[in-house]
Amino acid sequence: MAESANSKVLVIPCSGIGKVHGLMAREATYRVVEDLDPGASDTLCLALLVKGDEEAVTAVRTRPCITIDGCPKLCSYKNVQLAGGTIAESVRVVDAFKGHKGARPGTATELAEDGWTITDEIAQQIAARVREMCGGEEQ
Amino acid sequence: MPERYAVLPCNGLDKAVGPLAREIALMVVEACQGELICPVLYNNLPAHYAKALELPLIVVDGCGTRCASKLATEHDLKARRKLQVAETLKELGESAGEALTPDPERLALCRRLAERLLAAPAEGATLYTEAAFAEPVEYATVTHDKFIFHIPMQGYLFNENHCWARVVGSRARVGISDYMQQELGDLTFCELPQVGAEMGQFDAVGSVESVKAVSDIISPVSGRVVAVNPAVAETPEIINEDPYVRGWVAELELRDLESDRALLLDGEAYLALVRQKAADYRP
Repeated sequence: MAESANSKVLVIPCSGIGKVHGLMAREATYRVVEDLDPGASDTLCLALLVKGDEEAVTAVRTRPCITIDGCPKLCSYKNVQLAGGTIAESVRVVDAFKGHKGARPGTATELAEDGWTITDEIAQQIAARVREMCGGEEQ
Repeated sequence: MPERYAVLPCNGLDKAVGPLAREIALMVVEACQGELICPVLYNNLPAHYAKALELPLIVVDGCGTRCASKLATEHDLKARRKLQVAETLKELGESAGEALTPDPERLALCRRLAERLLAAPAEGATLYTEAAFAEPVEYATVTHDKFIFHIPMQGYLFNENHCWARVVGSRARVGISDYMQQELGDLTFCELPQVGAEMGQFDAVGSVESVKAVSDIISPVSGRVVAVNPAVAETPEIINEDPYVRGWVAELELRDLESDRALLLDGEAYLALVRQKAADYRP
């Protein structure tokens, strides 16, 4: 059964602009919230949080968050933390490359086949975590 | 090759219009070989983009929250061009759709908007003026007895006839200052120029009438009238209520701003003029 909107897990990628790893973070997020777990997950625009939007701040403080960061600057993780959010899981796209030596993910504007493969793995990993978190809540 | 720009988009994530803003930003950067500014990283680490921001700036916002514009304002960045996607789509009768991932039709629309944003100033300007002219204004004040005169300190140019021009890209809106509207008192009539009329600097771009007097609106800038504000013709008191934003009279496609500017006052200089006038003010 679908969770109500205000209890969904928030999957928050970094801005994901200008670098392929950022694009992967964004695409993995879309895959989770649109295809894999639309009933249990939702996303939130990081810029809103950074600009202090009250609704966004309340959301990260009251709902479990999974952050996904493309580059090592960890913008998503740091900004959710700074806003007082509850980070249940921090995912780094670069870590997903460890099992894909020599992978060519594509460009900042378009993912290649390797990029989509790794993105899908990240999405599956996050979706599993979302289900685990929802299962935990149901018990 | 178009001029190179630094492009600051919003995050563009959780509404259908956001990813369109992002796509447009990427297309603009690609087309002009410009520099992309990540809004979140810029917010956290502005020094990272110091070099990129030596280029003229384009700001692209997706939704009405206008995170990118707010960020630019907070960091005192001056955008040469702006695009607010949601508003532009509305003007064009287009829709952002529902999906967070743009379909080929939406991507084609993004391509068109990106091209127009970089195109000739007149065409590009139509895309962002409404949103840019609607941005909030910060005022300095001059107080004299019970009168308080407001003067916008950024983004406005004035002539000594107490008329202003707010310049955005290749266009400017013109109107009368708070000092002038208070001096005239309750306005009863506002005459607008014809769209298409060519104006020289210091030509009368319209007139306002109150119970006390009739006064020409002296255009601080030269150019062609591309739009007028029918609201002030119908309800002139809008000028009394909000002379610098809702009370604009005409919008001009600028002809020679650099030459015009030599004869105009910035906010600081106009503030000094109003201070001087206020000392002798007799309502």
